[in-house]
Amino acid sequence: MKRIRRVLAVTLAMMMAVAALTGCGSGKTDASKNGAASTGTKVFTFGDTTFNAENEEPTIDPHSAYCGWPCVRYGVGETLFKFNDSMELEPWIAESYENVDELTWKIVLKDGVKFSNGKACDAAAVKACIEDLVEVHERAAGDLDIASIEADGNTLTIKTNSSKPTLINYLCDPYGCIIDVEAGNENGIVVGTGPFVATELVTDDHINLVKNENYWNGEVKLDEVKVLTITDGDTLALALQNGDIDAAYGMAYASYPIFENDDYQFTSTATSRAFYCQMNYNSPVIKDDAVRKALAMGIDKESFVNTLLSGYGYVGQGAFPESFTFGGQNVKTESYDPEGAKKLLEEAGWVDSDGDGIREKDGKTLTIKWVSYPSRQELPLLAESAQATLKDIGFDVQLNVTADHGTIVAEKDGWDVYAAAFVTCGIGDPMYFFTTHCFDDSSKNRGGYHSDELQELADKMNATFDKDERSQIAIDMQQQILDDNAFIFCSFLKMSMISKSNVTGLKAWPSDYYELTADLDIE
Amino acid sequence: MKYTIKRLLGLIPILLAITFLSFGMMRLAGSDVVEQKMFNTGQVVSEAQLQAAKAELGLDRPFIIQYGSWLNNLLHGDMGVSYVSGKNVFDSFVEKLPATLYLTVASIFLTVIISIPLGIISAVYKNKIWDYLIRFLSFIGNSLPNFFVSLVLMYILSIKLKLFPIISKEVSLQSVAMPAITLAIAMSAKYLRQVRATVLDELGKDYILGAKARGVKFSITLWKSVMRACLVTIITLLALSIGSLLGGTAIVEAIFMWDGVGKLAVDAINMRDYPIIQAYVMWMAIIYVTVNLVTDLSYRLLDPRIRLEDAAHE
Repeated sequence: MKRIRRVLAVTLAMMMAVAALTGCGSGKTDASKNGAASTGTKVFTFGDTTFNAENEEPTIDPHSAYCGWPCVRYGVGETLFKFNDSMELEPWIAESYENVDELTWKIVLKDGVKFSNGKACDAAAVKACIEDLVEVHERAAGDLDIASIEADGNTLTIKTNSSKPTLINYLCDPYGCIIDVEAGNENGIVVGTGPFVATELVTDDHINLVKNENYWNGEVKLDEVKVLTITDGDTLALALQNGDIDAAYGMAYASYPIFENDDYQFTSTATSRAFYCQMNYNSPVIKDDAVRKALAMGIDKESFVNTLLSGYGYVGQGAFPESFTFGGQNVKTESYDPEGAKKLLEEAGWVDSDGDGIREKDGKTLTIKWVSYPSRQELPLLAESAQATLKDIGFDVQLNVTADHGTIVAEKDGWDVYAAAFVTCGIGDPMYFFTTHCFDDSSKNRGGYHSDELQELADKMNATFDKDERSQIAIDMQQQILDDNAFIFCSFLKMSMISKSNVTGLKAWPSDYYELTADLDIE
Repeated sequence: MKYTIKRLLGLIPILLAITFLSFGMMRLAGSDVVEQKMFNTGQVVSEAQLQAAKAELGLDRPFIIQYGSWLNNLLHGDMGVSYVSGKNVFDSFVEKLPATLYLTVASIFLTVIISIPLGIISAVYKNKIWDYLIRFLSFIGNSLPNFFVSLVLMYILSIKLKLFPIISKEVSLQSVAMPAITLAIAMSAKYLRQVRATVLDELGKDYILGAKARGVKFSITLWKSVMRACLVTIITLLALSIGSLLGGTAIVEAIFMWDGVGKLAVDAINMRDYPIIQAYVMWMAIIYVTVNLVTDLSYRLLDPRIRLEDAAHE
């Protein structure tokens, strides 16, 4: 009995020690709840997986690396024009633009636009901002290729060194956020024209924002916003469940079902982030037209999206999603047809002579070295799906899904198919994908693809300023690479943000640029 | 004192060797910070731009020159700046240390108060219900990975019982509780078995029987003799744990958003941020040498046999 009492005493002591650590637990939880708190201040807390130095977003200074993304996403900065739901340009800080000649653009700014410090955002301020941008930001300097800028009242005249049909699109890139360069960028915090003002920034941790009292474009509904960098997907899901955050960006698909109820809401859109396969023309097997075509016919995109991604994606046809005017609805591509693929391979001489299920030709087996990487949750699933469906056709698909994919793809004979993710139309202009992937000097033309027809179309595109004409050329260019089966576009990312049901005004945009706006509110 | 100075001087070749090795191994891993950044952001740059970016960071120079340059700067008190954040490495590192120290102290405290009493109870009540129960719990604790324990704790203590917030907004007693409990569960499960084995070993010795024969109360024998004899083993185990905890616990830190050095190190490795990695490697070497030194010194204080043996040699 005495011993039992001692055991109980020790256990009790341990429990007290744990209690000491956990003491006053509930108090803080209540205090950390967000929304329209009892103080009357509307505070919105947003969890984001992407705001970190690893993504080249250590601050919100748009003139540094990719920091323009958090600047525009969190409503600190705004660009001259913005992309709408169809990825078409619409005015923002600017009212209109005119393409005076091939090298000259006249942009008229809206009246009454102010920076959050109260200073007028006129043409002189915009000129100073863009001049600073091209001086310090190598990528922007290359994209914009500006020769000179003139400011006169609210009119800005930009001259470029070369013909730049997409200049206005490039100015909508997050690096194009207009900031007051004279106000500086202490600790990476800049002064923009957006609905929120940054007050505190700790890289990889959080940014605190308050309402811009001088906002030029209507009343800002929230008083304060806290954006928390939450890298772990499970933590993000639990934080939203627990009410620590009001909305989340970057939630893992696996966590979606938890929030598919009346307490939460989704805002989703198709983005141009494509999950695609690129063929290696240096590989003898891939050089065979029938093999490439059979690969395109052997990937079951519908099942991949609807089953493996649980519908959180869009089936891909061309290089761009169907919401775009030059999207996949305008092109013809191979559909899933295993029987057709088998017949095609038979005709091309690929037969299973030894009965092991894998086809051979001239003593070579139909082996495909499939390289991909795991950091995008869709890619390993795509690899497994393709391996299974292609096996039925007679392919031996050897998967190598590794973080070190770059080293493997750099070797010409190290791979046959490379599956990757890429934002094909980030600035609303289709040429970007082709420039980066499809020409002899393209940095991502990993497989050495070449097409004279495509090059001709590209030359035509570079000399065309008319939007509709450019769209048609983009469709023709997509058709060319699809006819060659140089790329297989499997799916597009369905970007979603999840919020509590009392949140209003949170909307997902195809460009993925805009998140926190003046309309965002919490009831 | 002489012994302490000798051990501290031994740190110099260790630091040189370990920093050289880590410098070499990171380069063997392939890729570098410029390529990693390009990949993470989907950035498209020409080969010339790529080489220019590498040259700017000095990554185009031969390995040995890069190491020599880093070492030279270090000897002048300059640990460099992070390739990723652009911040001073020493400042970035020091900024993360309080959180790591706090988590280490809290989890070691919890481990001690859980594992030692339970280990003793398990040994004293060998093959009784308490022993079976404790060993069963120890088995469960050993089997559960940290990330799973973290999520279970979050679900129970935050979502269901509303005791804690999921997101720690500051380094505080309350915010350290869940990560500390997570780490303590795994460590306690391991240590209580060690404590049990050590206590059982001591309880089987002749002097215990002698004490019992002389009528000494069991509790006195247990606390004054057995525990004292077991302390050396327990302290050795704890020293190893303190070393690894001070090196950070990347998974637990990432899940609980605990801003410590473990997460910093893993992020740096992923991004090939060499200056941060080198700082981390040095930190780890210093920790282990220091903790081992303190442990060795504590043996002399705790165990008179070691003290007397050393004195005889001198």
